[in-house]
Amino acid sequence: MSSRAVTSDTNSMAQHAQATPLDDMASIVATYEQRIFRFHLISIRDRDVAQSLTQDTFVRAWSARESFRGDCSISTWLMRIALNLVRDHTRTDRFRFWKRVSETAVDVSDISAHIPHRDSSLESRLIASEQMALVWESVAQLSERQRSVFLLRFLEELELSEIATITGLPISTVKTHLYRALATIRARHNATHKDSL
Amino acid sequence: MTLHLTHEQLCDLILADSSLPLEGEFQNEIHDSFTTDSDVVHAHLQACPVCSAELRSLRDSLSHFRDASVGYARQEFAHSYARRSSIAPPHSFLSQPLYWTAAALVFVAALFPLSMNRQHPVSNTTTPTASVAPQTAESDEALLTDIDQKVSADVPSPMEPLADPTAGANSATSTSVQRID
Repeated sequence: MSSRAVTSDTNSMAQHAQATPLDDMASIVATYEQRIFRFHLISIRDRDVAQSLTQDTFVRAWSARESFRGDCSISTWLMRIALNLVRDHTRTDRFRFWKRVSETAVDVSDISAHIPHRDSSLESRLIASEQMALVWESVAQLSERQRSVFLLRFLEELELSEIATITGLPISTVKTHLYRALATIRARHNATHKDSL
Repeated sequence: MTLHLTHEQLCDLILADSSLPLEGEFQNEIHDSFTTDSDVVHAHLQACPVCSAELRSLRDSLSHFRDASVGYARQEFAHSYARRSSIAPPHSFLSQPLYWTAAALVFVAALFPLSMNRQHPVSNTTTPTASVAPQTAESDEALLTDIDQKVSADVPSPMEPLADPTAGANSATSTSVQRID
């Protein structure tokens, strides 16, 4: 084998070692952007902030792509970055201020228009809107950690092990957060039913 | 024995919803709890309309929440994507040489007034400087030469004899005076 061949093999091995699955960021953005945007939108409930945080998610992913070791899926890794951004954003005082005054804040009426109506009876539509609004308002009352875990499970439909990886919590703790989140929703559910009766 | 399902039993039923994927360990755990409590739980659900109605209602609420959120997020994402597409030029357009030629022309046209403004002050300032500088050097040289001459003179200029405008007449007079003395 010639020395040139050895050199080219060494170079290709070095390039292969440095290459990460995140190098093709364009295809990753195309694949996961909508999902990341959805998580930000429902977590923050502001369209502009959700757009901004979605871009920040991919910028951070690109900046830290060499630290991606492949011990979890790309979607899990991106969702972890997204969750950290949501956490950083919601902990600032600026967030609390803009939440009150923002014109791009998402209202429950914006959401309820998107409930698919499998049957067209007016009563079933009203009940569905009421049930959706009940969960929507209950989620707003949850703690930051409970809300994140709840959305990862019931919005993103992630497995508990994935949620544990994203949040860095044990599975048992994830289950506890889900129990408490469902307890809040259930309490509100029962109160609404008692009021209606 | 409690009258209704516990909160954990109800939550486990919701989390074990067939519409949601479950990871292996948790599914086994749920399955194990079902094998031990399954008959009791299902018997209770069939016998208790309150628990079965609540479970159905909670499942429906969560399902509506998810469907509405996904639908709304999809619509908003499409809107934001359309806004971004309307702002940025299309990708194929960037690859056309005409686009880059036009961009270069605009760039040169923008630089042209700047270069004109930069040239005018330079030409105005260099001309007087060039004319004044040799004159100054020349006058300095003349002044230094004059000083050198005055310094190197044998007799200081105030002590030099006055120039006599009537040199011929004076010579005759002086000789006569000398003769008288």
